Amino acid sequence: MKYWNDCARVAVLVLIAVPRPLLAAEEAEGGGAALFDVNLGLSLWTVVVFVLLLVVLGKFAWGPILEVAQTREQRIQSALDEAALMQAEATTLLEEHRAQLAQSRRQAQDIVNEGKAAGELVRKGIEEKARSEGQALIERAKREIDREKDVALDEIRQRSVDLALAATARLIREKLDPEKDRHLVVGYLDELSRQGEGQDGSAGT
Amino acid sequence: MSVRPWMMGRPAAQGTAEHAAEAGGEFDMGELIMHHLADANELELPFVGALHLPTGWLLDAGPLGVIDLAPTKHVVLMGFAALLCVIFFLPLARTARKRREGKAPGGMGGAIEAVILYFRDEVVRRSIGHGADAYTPFILTLFFFVLSMNLLGLVPWGGSATGNLSVTAALAFCSFIVIEVSGMRGLGPRGYMRTIFFAPEGMSGLARAAMLMIFTPVELLGKLTKPFALTIRLFANMTAGHTLIFALGGLIFVFMNILAAAAGVAVASTLMGTAVMVLEVFVAFLQAYIFALLTSVFIGLIRHAH
Repeated sequence: MKYWNDCARVAVLVLIAVPRPLLAAEEAEGGGAALFDVNLGLSLWTVVVFVLLLVVLGKFAWGPILEVAQTREQRIQSALDEAALMQAEATTLLEEHRAQLAQSRRQAQDIVNEGKAAGELVRKGIEEKARSEGQALIERAKREIDREKDVALDEIRQRSVDLALAATARLIREKLDPEKDRHLVVGYLDELSRQGEGQDGSAGT
Repeated sequence: MSVRPWMMGRPAAQGTAEHAAEAGGEFDMGELIMHHLADANELELPFVGALHLPTGWLLDAGPLGVIDLAPTKHVVLMGFAALLCVIFFLPLARTARKRREGKAPGGMGGAIEAVILYFRDEVVRRSIGHGADAYTPFILTLFFFVLSMNLLGLVPWGGSATGNLSVTAALAFCSFIVIEVSGMRGLGPRGYMRTIFFAPEGMSGLARAAMLMIFTPVELLGKLTKPFALTIRLFANMTAGHTLIFALGGLIFVFMNILAAAAGVAVASTLMGTAVMVLEVFVAFLQAYIFALLTSVFIGLIRHAH
């Protein structure tokens, strides 16, 4: 410990002692000395005043001013961040709305198309039904006509037999054997009717 | 006798010149300049004249010898500069605090705030980097204190304490302490020691010892050169400008005996003196700025050393 003390003392003495002769030499020349004169007291005053000023200004000037600036910077920054956030949000919202609009439009189109298709289907169904019903009506009418025609033909046949028989009997009653005549006429009529049916078949097609 | 702006409030200097002129003797320009530049035990005040300051406040500081703590002219001017800073900034800080609630800055406070924020962003944060904000008050105080001392040298009855080596050395000493302490705090004990005893990595034995032998003096010198450069730069700049202004003013008295020449010289040196004065205002700001800037650069350098 004592060794270090001695060392420090020697070092300081060397530092002090070296400039002294130089300064003394300058002093001898005249005014020049004062310019390079080192006054430790003045240096000490400088350090004291500077440290005091640092403490006072640091506490009462720089502190508040820098703090106010900092809070303002933070406020501006947060406002900017918020604005950016809001803008991003608005953009996504706009996109969303656009997508929704497009989707709605598509859906509307789909509905219209579906309606059209359904209408078409219904129309076709109705047409089909109408056609089949008409067809059925025609078929029934045809069948009715055929039956009526058969009935009418039968009646005609019956009548014509009766008429022919009556006419023939009246003409040749005495000469002929009634039983033999009847047989002849029926045979003839059958032949006729066979011929008539062949004609009917060709006319029906 | 015409009173030049730079001569106002220098009764002693004028007295000297008058005496010289009256006596018909030689005008001592060196004395005129030194009177303005050198420290003194008296204060020149307007309308009052010379005010003698107390002397003989001696303090026996052991091995440092006897220190004269008497307040000299430069001590008073320095204190006045500090007082000006306090008077100027405290109301500004109060106004800033008052209008903090959602109000935009304005007026003088806005202008000063711009300077303060410039120092915080462009000087301190840029040169120191991470953890820079802790040094902002120090750098700001350094700048405005040096600036106000510089400017006091330009006003009548004033004088710049920064034109005194003892003052600039003490300021540089404060910078030096802050630089080294910031280095210790930023690098840790081991890292800090490496800024003194530096040897390149990957060397061993003899080569390492040799490198240590070479680098240690270089590093130590580098450490001490920085505050030394700060000291001399500020001192020399302030002294040179003032010397020039007074030399120009003094020329008038040198040519006093030749009346015809004196008129021409008076006009010329007044114009020149005014121009140099304008330059000096710029230099006052510039040197204060350089002192603060270099200090923060040195802090940044040591914190990112190696």
